[in-house]
Amino acid sequence: MRTGVSRREFIKAGAMTLFGGLGAAIFGQKAIGHPQRQMNQDPADAMATTVGEVDHEANGFNPSDILTDFDYGEVSTLENGQTLREYTFYALNKNIEIAPGIEFPAWTYNGRVPGPTLRCTEGDRIRINFTNGSTHPHSIHFHGIHTMQMDGVPGTPGLIPPGESFTYEFDAEPYGLHLYHCHAFPLARHIAKGLYGAFIVDPKEGRPEVDREFVMVMNGFDVDFDNENDFYAVNSVAFHFQKHPIQIRVGEKIRIYLVNILEFDLINSFHLHANFFDYFPTGTRMEPSEYTDTIMQTQAQRGILEFSYKYPGLYMFHAHNTEFAELGWTGNFEVLE
Amino acid sequence: MAEKSNSTKIPSSINIQTAVLLILPLLVLGAVIWLFLSTGGGLQLRSPAPVEALTVERSLLSPGSIDLRIRNGGPDDLRIAQVIINDAVWPATVTPNPIPRLGRGTVHLNYMWTQGEAYDIRLLSNNAISFETQIPVAFNTPQPTGRTFLSFTLIGIYVGVIPVYLGLFWFPALRQLDRRWMTFLLALTAGLLVFLGVDTLAEALEQAGQIPGPFQGIGLIGTGALVTFLLLDAISKRQAATGRDEAAQRQSLAYLIATGIGLHNLGEGLAIGAAFNVGALNLGAFLVVGFIIQNITEGLGIIAPVLRDRPGIKQLAWMGFIGGAPAIAGAWLGGFAPSPTLAVVFLAIGTGAIFEVVYEISKLIRKDTARQPMPATVFGGVTTGMLIMWITGLLVK
Repeated sequence: MRTGVSRREFIKAGAMTLFGGLGAAIFGQKAIGHPQRQMNQDPADAMATTVGEVDHEANGFNPSDILTDFDYGEVSTLENGQTLREYTFYALNKNIEIAPGIEFPAWTYNGRVPGPTLRCTEGDRIRINFTNGSTHPHSIHFHGIHTMQMDGVPGTPGLIPPGESFTYEFDAEPYGLHLYHCHAFPLARHIAKGLYGAFIVDPKEGRPEVDREFVMVMNGFDVDFDNENDFYAVNSVAFHFQKHPIQIRVGEKIRIYLVNILEFDLINSFHLHANFFDYFPTGTRMEPSEYTDTIMQTQAQRGILEFSYKYPGLYMFHAHNTEFAELGWTGNFEVLE
Repeated sequence: MAEKSNSTKIPSSINIQTAVLLILPLLVLGAVIWLFLSTGGGLQLRSPAPVEALTVERSLLSPGSIDLRIRNGGPDDLRIAQVIINDAVWPATVTPNPIPRLGRGTVHLNYMWTQGEAYDIRLLSNNAISFETQIPVAFNTPQPTGRTFLSFTLIGIYVGVIPVYLGLFWFPALRQLDRRWMTFLLALTAGLLVFLGVDTLAEALEQAGQIPGPFQGIGLIGTGALVTFLLLDAISKRQAATGRDEAAQRQSLAYLIATGIGLHNLGEGLAIGAAFNVGALNLGAFLVVGFIIQNITEGLGIIAPVLRDRPGIKQLAWMGFIGGAPAIAGAWLGGFAPSPTLAVVFLAIGTGAIFEVVYEISKLIRKDTARQPMPATVFGGVTTGMLIMWITGLLVK
């Protein structure tokens, strides 16, 4: 984020009016044949977006796939009857294209940003075999309840030099939506470079049934290393869900696991258009704390959103830090009949 | 017969031999270049990060659209991947993309900008190198229509033509002065010109910092200034050699001064036009009055060498035109087609011309002081000239 003068804020307010106008225009349309809008012709219709398309194949991951690729690990049962979930993690330096034509020299878990979405049930034994294939010391620091030995910070056995390995092992608790990230120092650099991911611990009795579940990790990238983000996104690629809307149906129950890992900026936020949602902060209680259409999170804050759409159409979701929205953190739900 | 053909052959064979010897190093050079390009010369030195340079030469605004004229000053072709305007990624059309080395390109944005507001535009190359440019005050870029043409013409007239002619009006009064005071005025003119020359040089150096590195702004200044100096020197020497009388020589010096001042005013017009173009200049009445007061002394300078002669009104008119009118051309050029590189060239020429004229004046003064030494007059004249420029400069800076 750049420190803006009040005049700039005013300009952004103007841009938001433009957003609102677009929303109204879309709402008026009955049939959404082609959600991709032609933005370039009339200046009045112009809106923030990138030019071109990211090479997802070269990246090795697609933000749309990350929405639903829950990783349950290699499952077995321990002698005491406890479920064991084993994962293989490796740290790897890799260039990823975070906006068309813009490559970011990332540090990744398993070659992707965000790393794998770990999913388990409360009380499961988690075992992570971690190898550091990168050029810097790294660790995996889980948010959860565990021993100091498994905390993955300097001074504990879990901080791993390049080329070496370590196994993290702990019981998954408490239930909720958590995250993991590298805790080597300088911490801001290690997080901003891409070493993070979502960690979902389901309650023993499970959560109420929904039709669709999505994982959204809100992040940003400082491509010119001035400690300010240049692009913002959900699941790493700027404007990805604006160009590739998430298709859902009217009345479908949707659950979003929303994690904020954004470095350099103090807060991030999520705003859903033409709808309201139940919000479960950290997912550690079964009762929502709020029924709203906008929530904010600081780094490492996370929460679960539940909603369904009443009307078909193309609806935006974006950070209501509108600067982030216009620098990539904007998406669309395409609600079909 | 045989001898004769030999004697004619010898010089021609020497010529062929000389030609071969001249061409041989070039052939070897070609072979070396070919060898390097095809083998790489065994150098294993690659920059750890790509080196890119981009200069935004001009921004053009019209309702709902912004165009940037850019130049790639880097060692390789440069591709623009994304454009961010006031912290929003904005769809842009870049032609051509990539931009060849030293080539020019255009970035076009459909963007509803607001009159009077500031914009910060970042061009991100596909190596994620960011090039920033500011539009300090957004307003419609003046197009060369009849009205703006007239406006820029008026600017040129106010800044160049009127003050120079006003200065010429001193001619009848100054003719009454005695020789010592005329020398004082010559010294004063030299002082004015030294001040203007330094000012022009400083402006040239400042502009040189804004042009792409490969165009070697400083080298351009050195070349432009020295070539102009030597050219004017050659011209005046040639006139002196034609054996004309001193009066004719003084008159040609007046024309030279007019030319030098004209080139300076061309630079001044360029700067005003370009500054007006980006909204960096509030060309209010106060500033115009300031320019008139400062430049009136330029007219004085032009007539200083011919005070003891009787130039016709037509001659004076021409001198005033040569000294003042280039400000109009400068304002047009700066206002409608500003090019930092061209500006450096003009300013360099102006610098060379002004210092050459100072050199000519100093020769004239030396002639005068040879007959009657007057060190205080020369010292006082130069000092007064420079101080006049500094003090009147307070009005326009």
